[in-house]
Amino acid sequence: MAHRLLVRRIWTVSVRDVRCPRAPSSALYSTSLCSSASPQPLLSPRRSLTRALPVTSRRQVSFNVQDQEDFTERVINSELPVVIDFHAQWCGPCKILGPRLEKAIGKQKGRVTMAKVDIDEHTDLAIEYGVSAVPTVIAMRGGDVIDQFVGIKDEDQLDSFVKKLIGQ
Amino acid sequence: MPPIENDTGRAELKTRIQQLIDSNPVLVFSKSYCPFCVKVKDLFKELNVICNAVELDLMADGSNLQDMLMEMTGQKTVPNVFINKTHIGGCDKTLQAHRDGLLQQLLGGENETYDYDLIVIGGGSGGLACSKEAALLGKKVMVLDYVVPTPLGTTWGLGGTCVNVGCIPKKLMHQTAVLGTAMQDARKFGWEFSEAVKHNWETMKTAVNNYIGSLNWGYRVALRDKNVNYVNAYAEFIEPHKIKATNRRGKEVFHTAARFVLATGERPRYLGIPGDKEYCITSDDLFSLPHCPGKTLVIGASYVALECGGFLAGLGLDVTVMVRSILLRGFDQDMANRAGEHMEEHGVKFLRKFVPVKVEELEKGTPGRLKVTAKSTDSDEIFEGEFNTVLIAVGRDACTGKIGLDKAGVHVNAKNGKIPVNDEEQTNVPHIYAIGDILEGKWELTPVAIQAGKLLARRLYKGGTLKCDYVNVPTTVFTPLEYGCCGLSEEKALELYGQDNIEIYHSLFWPLEFTVPNRDNNKCYSKIICNKLDSERVVGFHYLGPNAGEVTQGYGAAMKCGITKEQLDNTVGIHPTCAEIFTTMEVTKSSGGDISQAGC
Ligand SMILES: Cc1cc2nc3c(=O)[nH]c(=O)nc-3n(C[C@H](O)[C@H](O)[C@H](O)COP(=O)(O)OP(=O)(O)OC[C@H]3O[C@@H](n4cnc5c(N)ncnc54)[C@H](O)[C@@H]3O)c2cc1C
Repeated sequence: MAHRLLVRRIWTVSVRDVRCPRAPSSALYSTSLCSSASPQPLLSPRRSLTRALPVTSRRQVSFNVQDQEDFTERVINSELPVVIDFHAQWCGPCKILGPRLEKAIGKQKGRVTMAKVDIDEHTDLAIEYGVSAVPTVIAMRGGDVIDQFVGIKDEDQLDSFVKKLIGQ
Repeated sequence: MPPIENDTGRAELKTRIQQLIDSNPVLVFSKSYCPFCVKVKDLFKELNVICNAVELDLMADGSNLQDMLMEMTGQKTVPNVFINKTHIGGCDKTLQAHRDGLLQQLLGGENETYDYDLIVIGGGSGGLACSKEAALLGKKVMVLDYVVPTPLGTTWGLGGTCVNVGCIPKKLMHQTAVLGTAMQDARKFGWEFSEAVKHNWETMKTAVNNYIGSLNWGYRVALRDKNVNYVNAYAEFIEPHKIKATNRRGKEVFHTAARFVLATGERPRYLGIPGDKEYCITSDDLFSLPHCPGKTLVIGASYVALECGGFLAGLGLDVTVMVRSILLRGFDQDMANRAGEHMEEHGVKFLRKFVPVKVEELEKGTPGRLKVTAKSTDSDEIFEGEFNTVLIAVGRDACTGKIGLDKAGVHVNAKNGKIPVNDEEQTNVPHIYAIGDILEGKWELTPVAIQAGKLLARRLYKGGTLKCDYVNVPTTVFTPLEYGCCGLSEEKALELYGQDNIEIYHSLFWPLEFTVPNRDNNKCYSKIICNKLDSERVVGFHYLGPNAGEVTQGYGAAMKCGITKEQLDNTVGIHPTCAEIFTTMEVTKSSGGDISQAGC
């Protein structure tokens, strides 16, 4: 894990409650010690970590973060400013905010991207970035956290959030 | 050998003893036949500590050594115990030091440092409460939580049984059933809606599990915010102060701590018959079952069995409960049977005095079809039946068998896997404590585990003295007609005080909200048991009716304050409620008087 932290750019904390990176602890979800060799289970594992496929929309406004490394590469080291949407499958408001945010990003025609982080799949990232409630949205430029909000916002508010990030 | 009179001899002897003391971490001057010496040596064996015994009776100059020991320690008798060069004393002193934890401290050595002040094994109700409290008091704390999947592969998040597969989903699904009844009542109150009312299992399951997901996350965040180091790995002892943590990828990491708290909880017991693990589910699977269970056989008469059978029937499913002997063992049997009768009247079938023999799969599916064979406990009768789902709820086993307790020297009751502790939740190994469901002879309830965990942390790290009070703990069984109780069952009160010394007041009642729909008249029942030798103090409280948890909680507080029958009578009721019945109880059970109720 340590080497992953090393390749990250130095980032500064500008928002309350965003913590220093620390060695990630383990994932929120508990799973099997050994891969179950028992006959095909009758029931599919509960709340299983079904990994959403990356969104393949026309302009690819957003992408799903795959792991820590992917996060470092495509978010922290991104040339473009990035809006990070920390969400959860069990979170109702996230389902409303996500598409709205995507729309706001889409309006900027490639000047900003959006990274989606499922907090149950990538608990360490969410814990590291101080996420307490979802949705939490963080704006990042050059690896620096420069803005963030928690909860639902309307389209206008999202537009200005995104515009502020790209410096308009 | 004659006593040594000259100084050089004495000096030599003293040096010899001192060398022994200096070179042996644990040294016992002993006599091979002495029972007290054996006791002390056994203690060290139990603690997995190497103990060097010098058997004075087997040595030529044993009595000289003993005299010199007298001079050096002021103690003539054996055993004479030294730990890391410190003189402890005889058998009593050693046992006392063990109880006080001093022994452990000395054995650990002064400069022994551990990774953590406290490691808590199990992140359920008790473990989380204890670890958070300890961290709040400035200690360096780790908590490990790991869910071993069920035979069918079900697993879940942080928080333990209550949140994931216990209290929370259970109560929400019970509430689902309560709403079904309310809808039927609603028509009688004038609500008009389409005749066809359906229930969608999947919607309920998803909503319940979404809520649980948010709770899992909340626990995770709380641990971060309180600086508890959380690890999602399976823990087992490899030494008294050291554990091995294995994560889901099989990676092993070792951690040490000055103290440990065991809070590993329990898991459902299986039947040990053909087909049980392959085809049956338990409460660990039910709450996240992807499909509606359909026609269900519930095996067992534990509270989990009756609660699950109850809400499944409340959703409109065909439910049969197979009972070996009695309902709700350990609870007041009069109350248990009334709760059972109510279920029976509302369509739950009871198959009494039967035990399952095998379960076979007739057809796969969601749900599939299973064939259950059972045999009567008092005749040759065989039962065969077809069900979509078989839910086993015959009790739970403590998760204490695979956590290396032998390596740490912790005693476990071999019969039931439970851990005996003293009134401070301390096991026989002084630096290892245990809380929650794994305790021998204690309540298996979330608030009890939380209370015990919190108070334990405060006693360990804040000089607290308050101990967890396991007496007069209120609880509620969420059967369709809910049953709340606090204190003694009638059976237990009779046993403790004798028939002549208790007075039982009881009454049937008809909740106002049942009157308009005209249902369940004279089914709800209240009972208090009073100790005649102690101003008719209430020692048992029992309530069968709606909102039992809400009703029982308040009376639980009153009982904690020692309420008497007279004080109950002097309490003004809240009208119109169900709870007010306890302020107006006049008929004693011994009088045989009429207890049916009519009107205000
Ligand atoms: C169906 C059902 C309904 C219930 N309803 C109620 C109710 O209404 N009210 C109520 O008060 N109580 C209820 N209970 C009881 C309640 O859930 C328990 O009393 C409570 O959860 C006990 O807490 P605990 O801390 O002892 O253990 P748990 O909450 O069981 O937590 C133990 C944790 O330790 C983990 N673990 C075990 N071994 C290891 C290991 N070696 N390494 C790492 N982690 C480990 C387990 O996976 C688990 O997460 C219910 C229980 C069930 C099953």
